[in-house]
Amino acid sequence: MIKVEHLTKQFSLSKAQKKETNTNDEFAFAVKDISFDCKPGEIFSLLGPNGAGKTTTLRMLSTVITPSSGTIEMGGINAITHPSEARRKIGFLTGSTGLYARLNAHELIDYFASLYDVPSKLLNERKKYLFDLLDMNEFAHKRIGKLSTGMKQKVSICRTMIHDPEIVIFDEPTSGLDVITAESIIQLIRDCKEQNKTVIFSSHIMGEVDLLCDKMAIIHKGEMKYQGTMKDFRNNMTEKNLTAEFIKTVQA
Amino acid sequence: MIFNIFKKELKETLRDKRTLIMMLVIPILIFPLILNVVVGVSSSFEDSVENKTFKIGILGETNDYFAQKLNNIPNSLGPKSLIAYHGDSVKMRKDLKEEKLDLIFIYDSRFSEQINEMKATKLICSFDKTNMGYEQRAQKYVQIIEAEERMRRYEALNIDEQKITPFEIVFENSASSQKMIGELIGGFLPYIFIAFGFMGCMYPAIDLFTGEKERGTIETLLTTPVSRWKFLVGKMLVIILSGLMASFFALLGLFLSINLMDIIPDPEIMNVVNQILSIGFVLKLFLLLLPLTVFFAGIMIPIAVYTKTFKEAQSIIAPLNIIVLLPAMVGLFPGIELNLQTAMIPILNIVLTTKGLIGGTIDYSLLILSFSVMVVLAGIAVSVSFKQFGKETNILS
Repeated sequence: MIKVEHLTKQFSLSKAQKKETNTNDEFAFAVKDISFDCKPGEIFSLLGPNGAGKTTTLRMLSTVITPSSGTIEMGGINAITHPSEARRKIGFLTGSTGLYARLNAHELIDYFASLYDVPSKLLNERKKYLFDLLDMNEFAHKRIGKLSTGMKQKVSICRTMIHDPEIVIFDEPTSGLDVITAESIIQLIRDCKEQNKTVIFSSHIMGEVDLLCDKMAIIHKGEMKYQGTMKDFRNNMTEKNLTAEFIKTVQA
Repeated sequence: MIFNIFKKELKETLRDKRTLIMMLVIPILIFPLILNVVVGVSSSFEDSVENKTFKIGILGETNDYFAQKLNNIPNSLGPKSLIAYHGDSVKMRKDLKEEKLDLIFIYDSRFSEQINEMKATKLICSFDKTNMGYEQRAQKYVQIIEAEERMRRYEALNIDEQKITPFEIVFENSASSQKMIGELIGGFLPYIFIAFGFMGCMYPAIDLFTGEKERGTIETLLTTPVSRWKFLVGKMLVIILSGLMASFFALLGLFLSINLMDIIPDPEIMNVVNQILSIGFVLKLFLLLLPLTVFFAGIMIPIAVYTKTFKEAQSIIAPLNIIVLLPAMVGLFPGIELNLQTAMIPILNIVLTTKGLIGGTIDYSLLILSFSVMVVLAGIAVSVSFKQFGKETNILS
């Protein structure tokens, strides 16, 4: 379960940034007063154009950055006051996630498992399950730097899921990937839902959101423009297609 | 947990060619290479000077008194050929300038007569002083001829040489061989270890911090339940180890070159050098280098954390090398000693302390002061690193 209330992130502006944005304000809001929730077995999507504040929101949820105000509850834990405990419940994957090129898949997965304190017996079981599921055994001993993009993405997925997180956060997970590799991510998101995990993902592609999510929020310039179920969004749309409706919502 | 982080970072670092070259290959090869070149160049230089046929210009004739004396000097000092200039000093000096001659002797036309009359007569010996070994050869020629003439005069005047020699002066060196070696190379050695310690830290520092940002791995790392300070410590330990290993391999290279290349022919000096390079010395040296290396890591990490690309980090950290080595260079100057003031100057204090350790002249209270200064600075540098690594704006690009 993810519960976010009045989440705000503001950054102080440097002189150069003030000049660049033609403002005299001391601060800029990356995210302003956002609230939503997502239950186990649900897929929640954050939809917005580039620079809308999606990544900042997900970074706050994953405790990489601290909100300026508001609350975040991850699996019943206050993620702001107890970030380490909240992180144990989170798996985080972005489209731009890098991997350690000089390690092989086994070494990388073992390392991340150790960071999550996964007991060795459980690690072996999880590794076998995920390596078989993702068809990784053939290249598991190859240095990651020598793997193809698709293989690397499989390693990334395995790294995200090795500690069996109850909440999975995907930040534009298919961005820059080819169709086949993107499909493996789509499948992973579906599997997470089936496994009753709480899933939140960001995207700027309406089709992808329509394909996967139960609930969605559209954000633009850090502010929430729409929140509801995908079904309601589709039922209430006045434009001819989802993308046009999304653009209309953003520009409203 | 810190050990797990350390282990993984070390594994990755040891698989990085750039780091391996800076940490292992260059340090271990530097001394054999330098010493090989120095020994090779100096021995070939000595050979060439010894075997060189000196073209000596004389102002008079080849059969005059001075020329005969010069000719009588055996060629064991090196072969020579005399060229008479028949009184033309201008042409002779011009030929010397144009390097057609190596050495010229100018003397009065009445030189032989004045010698015979037992008068003091002027003898000008001219050569290009920038040519190594020329001065020694010229001095030997003059000394032999002068000594011969002096003996002839003693005999002619029936003087016992012993009676007009009031002292037989013997200058003794009270400094031990160890102190002499300490004074000669004591400043140079720590300079090398400091330079390599710095270089050894540089690539891992950039790779483990800026590299994480550049490769996009930092974000996933920070979503794990491990505290940031543990990542910082784990990574910092690898950087420190890398710096110390670079210094160690430089020392190993020095030890191997001394023992395998036979560059110290004197067994007594060799013995002293081996005594200096004892396990005790190495332990003390590395104890001193430890806070220095932590300090290096501590000043590199905030830069590596702040910068966004490997190139950017390298362009800031590499010039820092010069700033770091400046105080180390001061330690190379003669007369600069470890005292209460110099013990407070970071890096210079380590150079001077090491110099004292090598020479066996160390004041242990100053050693403790130098060590403490470096520990405090290292602590400050680490806390700055921690602060920078904790900043959101620094760790996310």
